[in-house]
Amino acid sequence: MAAAKNKDVLLTVNNLKKYFPITKGLFRRTAGYVKAVDGVSFQVRRGETLGLVGESGCGKTTTGLSLLHLIQPTSGRIQLQVKGKMLDVNSKTIGGLRREMQIIFQDPFSSLDPRMRIRDIVAEPLRAHGLKNRQQRYERVEALLNSVGLGAAHMNRFPHEFSGGQRQRIGIARALSLHPSLVVCDEPVSALDVSVQAQVLNLLDDLQEEFGLTYLFVAHDLSVVQHISDRVAVMYLGRIVEMAEVELLFSEPKHPYTEALLSAIPEPDPDIKGEQIILKGDVPSPADPPQGCHFHPRCPYATELCRQESPKLRPAGEGGHLAACHYAQKLNLNGVFPGETA
Amino acid sequence: MLTFIARRLLFLPIVLIGVTLMVFVVMSFLTPYQLVSAYIKSPEELKNQSLDDLVRKYGLDQPAHIRYINWVKNLLKGDLGYSKSANMRVTEAISKRFPATIELALFSIIPVIFGGIWLGTISAKHYNRPLDHISRTFAIIGWSLPDFVFGLIMLMIFYGVLGWFPPGRLSMWADTIVLTGDFVRYTGMNTVDAILNWRWDIFLDALRHLAAPIITLSYLWWAYLLRITRSSMLEVLNKDYVRTARAKGLGEKVVVNRHVRRNALIPVATVSGSMVLGLLGGVVIVETVFDYKGIGLLTATGAQQLDYTLILGTTLFYGLLLVVTNLIVDVLYAFIDPRVRLE
Repeated sequence: MAAAKNKDVLLTVNNLKKYFPITKGLFRRTAGYVKAVDGVSFQVRRGETLGLVGESGCGKTTTGLSLLHLIQPTSGRIQLQVKGKMLDVNSKTIGGLRREMQIIFQDPFSSLDPRMRIRDIVAEPLRAHGLKNRQQRYERVEALLNSVGLGAAHMNRFPHEFSGGQRQRIGIARALSLHPSLVVCDEPVSALDVSVQAQVLNLLDDLQEEFGLTYLFVAHDLSVVQHISDRVAVMYLGRIVEMAEVELLFSEPKHPYTEALLSAIPEPDPDIKGEQIILKGDVPSPADPPQGCHFHPRCPYATELCRQESPKLRPAGEGGHLAACHYAQKLNLNGVFPGETA
Repeated sequence: MLTFIARRLLFLPIVLIGVTLMVFVVMSFLTPYQLVSAYIKSPEELKNQSLDDLVRKYGLDQPAHIRYINWVKNLLKGDLGYSKSANMRVTEAISKRFPATIELALFSIIPVIFGGIWLGTISAKHYNRPLDHISRTFAIIGWSLPDFVFGLIMLMIFYGVLGWFPPGRLSMWADTIVLTGDFVRYTGMNTVDAILNWRWDIFLDALRHLAAPIITLSYLWWAYLLRITRSSMLEVLNKDYVRTARAKGLGEKVVVNRHVRRNALIPVATVSGSMVLGLLGGVVIVETVFDYKGIGLLTATGAQQLDYTLILGTTLFYGLLLVVTNLIVDVLYAFIDPRVRLE
């Protein structure tokens, strides 16, 4: 995180927070906050894919949506590099910056307007951002559809005429229509069949190369993240607990939570008896997170220090490996090795 | 789209046969002597003939299936018998009174559709803010107030106290002009005919008589459409594709008009069908309250005088109207929602 002025950095997120108020009673008093995202900081370098993993409810999707101001973040600073300058992303500038940062949504069934034809769904951003000529718009749409594996024949159809995988391709074409530099992929394959997942992931890979895209890839499926990411950030209860290059994170995790997550990856070979770490209890409520380290009630290695003091995200190994654990240097945790999982 | 309409049209005859069968079943509860009036063309026929002769002449002593076929043959000729309460043939009475009701219905439906959707949109956009509360209060009153009560209140205030909106269809002086002289009755709708005859005084007079029935008839439906539009808009506002539209970088106005409202109108179109039917049912009460001589008042008078012929005739007519309206709504629905167009 030290190299904040790094030329390669496309996106900087600093201390991003999103608190949802909990209202109670007749007059809707604010009784507390759900701290969905609680001080998240990270950088994304141009051309890379940063995977963001965690369990349901850990705040990974909220992080993605807040970056694009589709949810208004409570606080924090988001900066995006546009033509060599770092620009602040806030509610005033987001309108113009939408052509630089786009999003692929999780659910391809509900995220396309059922009353619009495909050509209009994909062309609408072009129109909103100033491409007035209808003919040119449709030519662009055709080219985009071709690059996501659909064709001109699909332009006049409505969303309900497509399968899930095809709809996600339409969603991708729409996201890419403005040639953005950053694409937030919000669990883009979790709603799809496994066979289709691979196709869409490979498509995302190819498009990254073709258009020089940078991905922030939000997912809960570790094998998907391992496949597509260059670096991975692990989130737990609204905070990043570990961040590293993908191989390092999978082979040498430095945070007990990451270790537990990795041990849960299903093993295709029945002869290998991996030991799965079953965490005690449930994820605590983000409305009332535990004192000290958020993970301590479920951590097998927790000590008195963990109950008292919240650990900061700090260097825990070579190659910019970061972990938020008091014992990151001391614990010897088990990872999985490349090639061991499918 | 065309195949969809064609397929719906294929079902039309089947539905119509169903309607006639039902009316016929109701008819068979009457004795042949009561039914004779449904067959004769004028009271003249009753002279010099005994009822038994007439029963035999019209085959009313025959078995049901033959009676049904005979009756349908008469229907196809436009023959619905003679109404004793209207003193004319039923078809004649209906065709005379129907334009008045159509006029009332059109003046009600068109403002309701545009106004109700507009108010609903405003309400949804200002969700839980003062404008929303005002329009919801307006809606809840309209939704809970029966039209015969509301109609009497209107009559009391705007006729009894203020004298602005008198009952009836036209004032005496206008009526004389319309019935005599050079005034050509193109459509039977007073306002339209007045414009076509360049008689602005008559046009205004007709409007003055229409105002109170229109308000009474449509208040309920303003409220209904407002509520449906509002809740439908609120639902669509939370849809993922609306978030997609925002992610595209569209302005809030474009998001609401192009994405939210267009999708929110689908359930509105569905209820509009039942609204048109409900409105046509409402005219029976409203026309009676305001002495507005349309088909509703005709039905009400017929019912009070046990005029079987007229009741059967108007029932059949309402049935036909219902079928046609449903067809129009179905086609409209397919037009609005592309998912319906495929089977």
